[in-house]
Amino acid sequence: MSVYAQRKTSNGHAPKALRAISRRAAFYDLDGTLVDLNLVHAALFTLANLGEWSGRLSYLLGFAARIPRLYIAEQRDRRLLNTVLFEAFKGVSRDRLFSLGEEYCERILIGRLYPQAVELMEANRAAGIEPVLVTGSPDFIVAPLARHLCVADFASNRFVFSRGRATGRLAEPVMAGDEKAVWCEEYAAEHGIDLKNCWGYADSHYDSAFLAALGHPVAVNPDRRLRAAALSRQWPVIHFDKGADLEPLPDFDDDLNLNHEIER
Amino acid sequence: MARPERKLKELKTAELRHEVGARSELVVKVNRRSERRIIPYGEEFLFERLPVGTRVIYPPPPLDPLADPDQAIRYALLHPENQDPLFAQLSPNMRVTIAIDDISLPLPQMRRPDLRERMLNQVLQTLADYGVDDVHLVIATSLHRRMTEAEIRRAVGERAFKQYWPDRLYNFDAENRAELAMLGKTDHGEEVWLSRRAAESDLLVYLNINLVPMDGGHKSVAVGLAPYQSLRHHHNVPTLRDSHSYMDPTRSALHRSSDRMGKLIHQSLKIFQIETAVNTNMYGGMLDFLHKNEDQFTDWDRTRLKGFQWTTRNMSAEMRRTVLHNYAAPYGMIGVWAGDTEAVHHKALARVFQQYAVPVKGQADILIVGVPYICPYNVNSIMNPVLVQCTGLGYLFNMYRNKPLVREGGTMIVCHPLRDEFHPEHHPSYIEFFHRCLAETTDAVELEKNFEREFARNPTYIHMYRYGNAYHGVHPFYMWYWGEPARQHVGRVIAAGCEEPEVAARLGWEAADTLDEAIAMATSELGRSASITYLHLPPLVIADVE
Repeated sequence: MSVYAQRKTSNGHAPKALRAISRRAAFYDLDGTLVDLNLVHAALFTLANLGEWSGRLSYLLGFAARIPRLYIAEQRDRRLLNTVLFEAFKGVSRDRLFSLGEEYCERILIGRLYPQAVELMEANRAAGIEPVLVTGSPDFIVAPLARHLCVADFASNRFVFSRGRATGRLAEPVMAGDEKAVWCEEYAAEHGIDLKNCWGYADSHYDSAFLAALGHPVAVNPDRRLRAAALSRQWPVIHFDKGADLEPLPDFDDDLNLNHEIER
Repeated sequence: MARPERKLKELKTAELRHEVGARSELVVKVNRRSERRIIPYGEEFLFERLPVGTRVIYPPPPLDPLADPDQAIRYALLHPENQDPLFAQLSPNMRVTIAIDDISLPLPQMRRPDLRERMLNQVLQTLADYGVDDVHLVIATSLHRRMTEAEIRRAVGERAFKQYWPDRLYNFDAENRAELAMLGKTDHGEEVWLSRRAAESDLLVYLNINLVPMDGGHKSVAVGLAPYQSLRHHHNVPTLRDSHSYMDPTRSALHRSSDRMGKLIHQSLKIFQIETAVNTNMYGGMLDFLHKNEDQFTDWDRTRLKGFQWTTRNMSAEMRRTVLHNYAAPYGMIGVWAGDTEAVHHKALARVFQQYAVPVKGQADILIVGVPYICPYNVNSIMNPVLVQCTGLGYLFNMYRNKPLVREGGTMIVCHPLRDEFHPEHHPSYIEFFHRCLAETTDAVELEKNFEREFARNPTYIHMYRYGNAYHGVHPFYMWYWGEPARQHVGRVIAAGCEEPEVAARLGWEAADTLDEAIAMATSELGRSASITYLHLPPLVIADVE
């Protein structure tokens, strides 16, 4: 299963304590939802930083040759897009990918997180709604980001490696479209969570099935088609703003534990 | 200089009674030769024949507006009630906050210049003349949605907007803990929270528009600049059940609670309240036939009505909504007072009742109301079913003093298509409230007990309230509680012209395809001799029921 869940025990099951406690979860898409970047940016960064200059050029030219196919795939099917995109990584070593993933996360991704998204994630966590990432991004990028966000569980795409090198294929199931919904259902069953009580945040119409599987779907900065779907299905629509100034988080206690002193 | 005070003369109670008493011609009985009546029906208007004997209550005609509103405001600032003139209260180093009523008033929006702009320009000029620089303008949204930049610009005018937006002109944020201060508790144990900026100011100036007698007074500051922690003490089921009616502050527990809070606020904060009242000139020009008694319709009125009906019916829903919400009413200002909150509000209330009150003899068995396309909570938005409930049972039922227009156990007929449609950015929590909470129970007490806190503290709804343009998560509950006095009073509610009967059922109402069918359903239980009253809108009317 192309799912990476850090809390899994050696036998592949979630700890009992987790099952008992986590009754509500919030499932977040990553690209375009939590960060204002997309998969292509991550792929280009990685390819542009592989090997020597000559090697980089060859990878980038290979990527450029795929652009027409990527465009067609984007129009048709997110799974196809992921498959075509990650073919470009064929032959890259696992170690190099994971080190570049760490670098990409630290240098680029963290700085491009929507502050409001992080605030909402923390507010949800404070309200007992555990965050889970469900994304089509590759695991070597998602894992360091999940650590940074203190997110224990995530689902991401994972390369198939042969003798330590990427084959250019993705392990099944590919995290895109309906597969996200299937994963959420399996995750919920495993953790004793009722999806009706769960929240989902995504930005693309390809995530409609994923959002529809959850009790509280929210369209984040939705594209045209997801916005239409949200209007039709009465899903709330949120806009995260990159340049937004954050005010202090609300307190979830009744008494608000505030400074009662009034200065005048 | 003209003397605007002559127009602002205080009405003696006896004069008011005399004036209102002379309005008996505003209560009309339908006979066989009577014309059909205009009934608001969401984003359309029906033109329906009512049963012979139906009593139709018409709003009073608009009072004459003040000839020079700017001069009247200037006069009010110079001659305030029980306070020194505004200029005499100023010194250069003081901190001043100006709180402004939000987009929920007036309805529909008024033609520019908005009264808020007129008041603001003069207050800001006075502050500038006396060297007061530390000035913040706060839109008193409470738990309403944030006004957009364009909406604020329209309300406050270009001058204030250019000078203060966005750093010193902003929406109140009831979930920004750094911006809240607790002032204490009333003797009833009600916590009084307030905008910190306002609480720490040397002077708070409140700019109010009184559309109906429910507005203004202590409620302006104690509600407009307060968070959930304060509002839960009066926006709750027991308090609202004990309000008879919201339009009669002397008999409203809601107002008693906000008055207690307001008095506590006054102990620690100096408030200079400016209240204005507008007349009932809601639809002017080509739409002025909407105000008329249909029996006096000319051919030109009928033609305009037909044209209006045809146009609205043939527009797409989105375009129709845009056109209707962009309509600006030619309201005229009929009064402005400044100074001490209670003294100011006392005069404003008298003037508002002078505009709206119509004496009515006795209650009816059946009350017909038409719910229009707009209410205070869906400006530039969608009138969802919860808001239809709030407008019908909350506002229109409460348009009375003394006794409700419908007798206890009577039937209310609410004309509205009642579609299952919501605005996902303005009313996100309404969607869950309607589909999840109301599916479990329509009992306000149960809803309050089981769900209110969860919604009030929901992080996504709080986020959408703070950074988007969403009403607070708890707001649909308040809208439901708002209809509670009516639910306690009437025996039956029938949605006439209901397009989606399951929506009516979710609200606990019965559905009828047409108004005739709704009346037949009501009279089948109450008998053919059941008395029927139709509360004619627009504009607005408050029935003094004997």
